[in-house]
Amino acid sequence: MSLPALSDYFIPEQQNELIELLQRFGENAMIVAGGTFVHGLEARGLLSEVEALIDIGKLGLNGIATGPSGVVLGATTTLADLKQADFIQNDPAFGAVKDALGYPPLQIRNVGTVGGCVAASVPLYDVPATLLVLDGTVHALGANGDREIALTDFFTGLFENALRTDEFITELRLPAQAAGTASAFLKLETNANDLAIINVAVRFTLDEAGLCRDSRIVIGGGIGESYVRAGSAESRLNGAKADADLFNAVSKAVATDIDPVTDHRGSAQYRRHMAVVYTHRALGRALERLS
Amino acid sequence: MKKLIELEVNGEVHELAVSPDETLLGALRDHLDLIGTKQGCDSGGCGCCTVQVDGKAVYSCMMYAVSVQGSEVTTIEGLARGPELDPLQQAFIDAGAVQCGYCTCGIIMAAKQLLDTVKDPSEDEIRHAIAGNLCRCTGYRKIIDAIQLAAAAA
Repeated sequence: MSLPALSDYFIPEQQNELIELLQRFGENAMIVAGGTFVHGLEARGLLSEVEALIDIGKLGLNGIATGPSGVVLGATTTLADLKQADFIQNDPAFGAVKDALGYPPLQIRNVGTVGGCVAASVPLYDVPATLLVLDGTVHALGANGDREIALTDFFTGLFENALRTDEFITELRLPAQAAGTASAFLKLETNANDLAIINVAVRFTLDEAGLCRDSRIVIGGGIGESYVRAGSAESRLNGAKADADLFNAVSKAVATDIDPVTDHRGSAQYRRHMAVVYTHRALGRALERLS
Repeated sequence: MKKLIELEVNGEVHELAVSPDETLLGALRDHLDLIGTKQGCDSGGCGCCTVQVDGKAVYSCMMYAVSVQGSEVTTIEGLARGPELDPLQQAFIDAGAVQCGYCTCGIIMAAKQLLDTVKDPSEDEIRHAIAGNLCRCTGYRKIIDAIQLAAAAA
């Protein structure tokens, strides 16, 4: 048995039942959706105190709804189902999500969930970086009712987030994107099944004069405990004309916005350099989507 | 504490007593002796353990057996019809796409989902479909040839 403290595997069919289990087991409960993150932790021996695995696959939390106010993604919507959604395939505003969903292999896409990759709270994951640049919000339900948490406030550290122990994610919401908006995502990896050495998500809106507005640049991968918003790079982008010179200046600014780590997969210097290169490429890809 | 579960594998329903943290891989290999599904990295990195659950390729090392109740599991042993091999299995033989063979079953199970859903896949689609599977003999060229052969035969 690789989970020495485990007492049982629960499959609640009602949300109340789930909340009761979360209250009962507190910090020693682990929610299982697709299971890929949980097994990753288990394989590294990080779940030795987990007493209850709680499978949320039977709660009907999957599904995608689009409307004038934006997109609602049920927490257990798989990455494979999201990848097939029409707005992901065709709307340049959601291009970053499409890009990110092109990286994980079939076997991960088939089971990995949108809510799971957010709840994991690991900056090495790809999809959350794209939800961040699209101003996504988390909807959580717990003993005290439901609440909405902006993704920018959600990630509080490595494996740490704003959820209370009795809360779980019901939905991710992405607001409607303005006309002329495009986004893109790129990831540096060593093989097709790798976590990001560095990843970059960008979004901007081109106004009628061809100037960039409302831009977002988020860097993930080995950059510390959580995703980093490249504030100085964003401010260079806003109000400027989208062209090669601008993208050179903006991507160079990313180097000062981040403080990457050094580990066996890459030095801080390498990560910083590649964040600049990938930001440049991502900006170009987003602009291409608007032409 | 063991949990009693019903698992449908290759069309047969089995009743098993498993630990709550038993993986689908463990249930297949250790309880049902279906050892065609291989244990490799045990953490979703190599693809040797790939099986289908409800027609979709998954890493069986990353799924709890308990969670698969009510689903249909297909392993490499479930592909052949009597003595007649699945076109993918036959194509791997015909193309000489097996070296040590350890990755083969997982790759066939991943490719199976591709051929079930895409009629005439491009080489790019084939490469993406098996991106979650490693061949450490690095015989990818013949593996891709085999999948193309199977697609043409279908």
